[in-house]
Amino acid sequence: LASSATTLSPSQVGRLRAPGPRAWLAKHPYVAYAIRRFLIFLVTLWGALTVAFLFYRLVPGDPIQSYITSLEQVGIYNVEASKEALEHYRRVFGLEGNLLQQYLFYLNQLFIQRDLGPALINYPTSAQVGIVRALPWTIGLLGLSAVFAFVLGVLLGGVVGWLRGRWAAEWLTNVSVALSHVPFYFVGLMLVFLFAYRLNWFPSSAAYNPAYERGFNLDFILSVIRHGTLPALSIVIIGVMNWLISTRMLIVPTLGEDYLTYAEAKGLSPRRILTSYALRNAYLPQVTAFGISLGGIFNGNVIVEQLFNYPGLGALLVQAVGVLDFNTIQGIVAMTIVVVLTANLIIDLILPLLDPRVKYWR
Amino acid sequence: MRLAALWRTSPKLLAGFAILIFFFVIAFIHPFIVDAIGRGQNPLAIGAYPAWLMPSSTHLLGTDRYGRDLMAMTVTGLWASLQVGVMAGVFSTFIGILIGFTAGFKGGKVDAILSTTTDMFLVIPFFPLLILLSAYTRNTTLWQVALMLTAFSWPFAARTIRAQVLSLRSRPYVDLARANKMTDMEIIFQELVPNMLPYIGVGLANASLGAIFALVGIEVIGLGPSGAIDLGLMIAWAVAWGSMSLGAWPLFVAPVTVLSLLFMAVNLINVGLEETYNPRLRRVAGA
Repeated sequence: LASSATTLSPSQVGRLRAPGPRAWLAKHPYVAYAIRRFLIFLVTLWGALTVAFLFYRLVPGDPIQSYITSLEQVGIYNVEASKEALEHYRRVFGLEGNLLQQYLFYLNQLFIQRDLGPALINYPTSAQVGIVRALPWTIGLLGLSAVFAFVLGVLLGGVVGWLRGRWAAEWLTNVSVALSHVPFYFVGLMLVFLFAYRLNWFPSSAAYNPAYERGFNLDFILSVIRHGTLPALSIVIIGVMNWLISTRMLIVPTLGEDYLTYAEAKGLSPRRILTSYALRNAYLPQVTAFGISLGGIFNGNVIVEQLFNYPGLGALLVQAVGVLDFNTIQGIVAMTIVVVLTANLIIDLILPLLDPRVKYWR
Repeated sequence: MRLAALWRTSPKLLAGFAILIFFFVIAFIHPFIVDAIGRGQNPLAIGAYPAWLMPSSTHLLGTDRYGRDLMAMTVTGLWASLQVGVMAGVFSTFIGILIGFTAGFKGGKVDAILSTTTDMFLVIPFFPLLILLSAYTRNTTLWQVALMLTAFSWPFAARTIRAQVLSLRSRPYVDLARANKMTDMEIIFQELVPNMLPYIGVGLANASLGAIFALVGIEVIGLGPSGAIDLGLMIAWAVAWGSMSLGAWPLFVAPVTVLSLLFMAVNLINVGLEETYNPRLRRVAGA
């Protein structure tokens, strides 16, 4: 993205003194960068949604036909009614007409009506009702554990890099190198077995105890925390190891730099040098990496939620796939695409403001 | 002699290779191991032994719900998992090389279009789509699954290869080759590819593991290829049969341990290569 962001610059240099919006943009490079970055965001968003759409249509089989067939199998069988129902569902689900018409229907649904259409798992309630209900659980579980893992991993990575050569730091690094690519749900499986079934410390499934009333009362909140601990831990443990290794790789080469020696000579405490000098230079690239990693974290989260019976987007997705509920699946995929792309946009827009070294607008 | 030298420069590289080769050999000779366990009968037949046996000297990993020997199941499953992984890894590395080299070497508009497309694929949460695809295609073979996984893993390969090509193409020896009037293809295959073989190898290993990991994920949800036992299916069974509440740990501990060791081996090779080929990083990337 950065390479295409700089394509406009030569013409800008030439027009530096010419009046008009281009000259204004040349004087305000950050605004020009932000506009370019936003346009790239729009193109990527459109492209990703289109690829996803084409993918749904490439999938062999007919979701409506299989839905009707499954209805027929449970006893509701009438050839005429089936045919009518088939046409009705085709229309409602935007599966009528040629590929272009379906594509326009899809975009219209997403951007103009902002309604995903009825969900098969909960017909005729709109798909976004289910998604909106599941969303807080996923954001709470995934968002919190991802951010927590990031902060802890970057801090630990800094400390481990700082103390390189000590046996504890090396040991921690080597364990992380060994385990960092193990999928979340492996850890989840082991945690469930040990802490839920063997030791009985934490519940093995669901997001809260239904015995308590939902709302802002202590029992309910404690129950949510107790239920969320194991799934969150399985995401955090692997996440911390990943961020630890990459931060250490960033920080160790900077340790010999002059400005750190200077900081030491000034008599600053080691903690101060680490946090305000060494880590300050290492954490910015990590923020970009965090944005990119979000999509992958969601992928892993789908199985963690399934494993723990957690009522989030991942479990909803699996449920929707079970009955081939297109609208819900499309909704979840579109939502993940939008969230990941927006997060990356925001990070890219903030980063140059935080880091004077980043000159995206050369 | 050379092994000893390698051990001194990078014990990680050697350890990683050793683990990887060990598992490949086990997978390759799995029919003999299964025969040795079965002693004439098929240890994977339903009801071959009593159900849910705990590990003992005759059944090193015990048996499952249908009385099948878990050791035999693990080595058979390892073979199937490695097959899918290597197939998907080779396919996606091939596409990655094609796109990564074209983008990195041509630069300009070609690069802009190819990189933007690659980035687009990278942000699409592929796992939901993969689940959807496997929900439709119930009776798939291992080959088809490998192709499906390829569709989503090539962008990672393409991106890392492109980054590497970008850093290599401005090296003096490429300029020299250009001055000698070598064509683009000649430069790519005679100058760049040989220099990038270690990276391509690591990329291949990573893509293979990614494919195995994705397949396990699909299977845990209850979808996936039919007719073959692989390591993911064992984990799926462990979850579906409640072997955790039964305390029948070998059914999921065995595949999880084997897969984790595979991940670890590739990671060790990854870090080891990085240290060997990039001496500045030596003693940096986890000494």
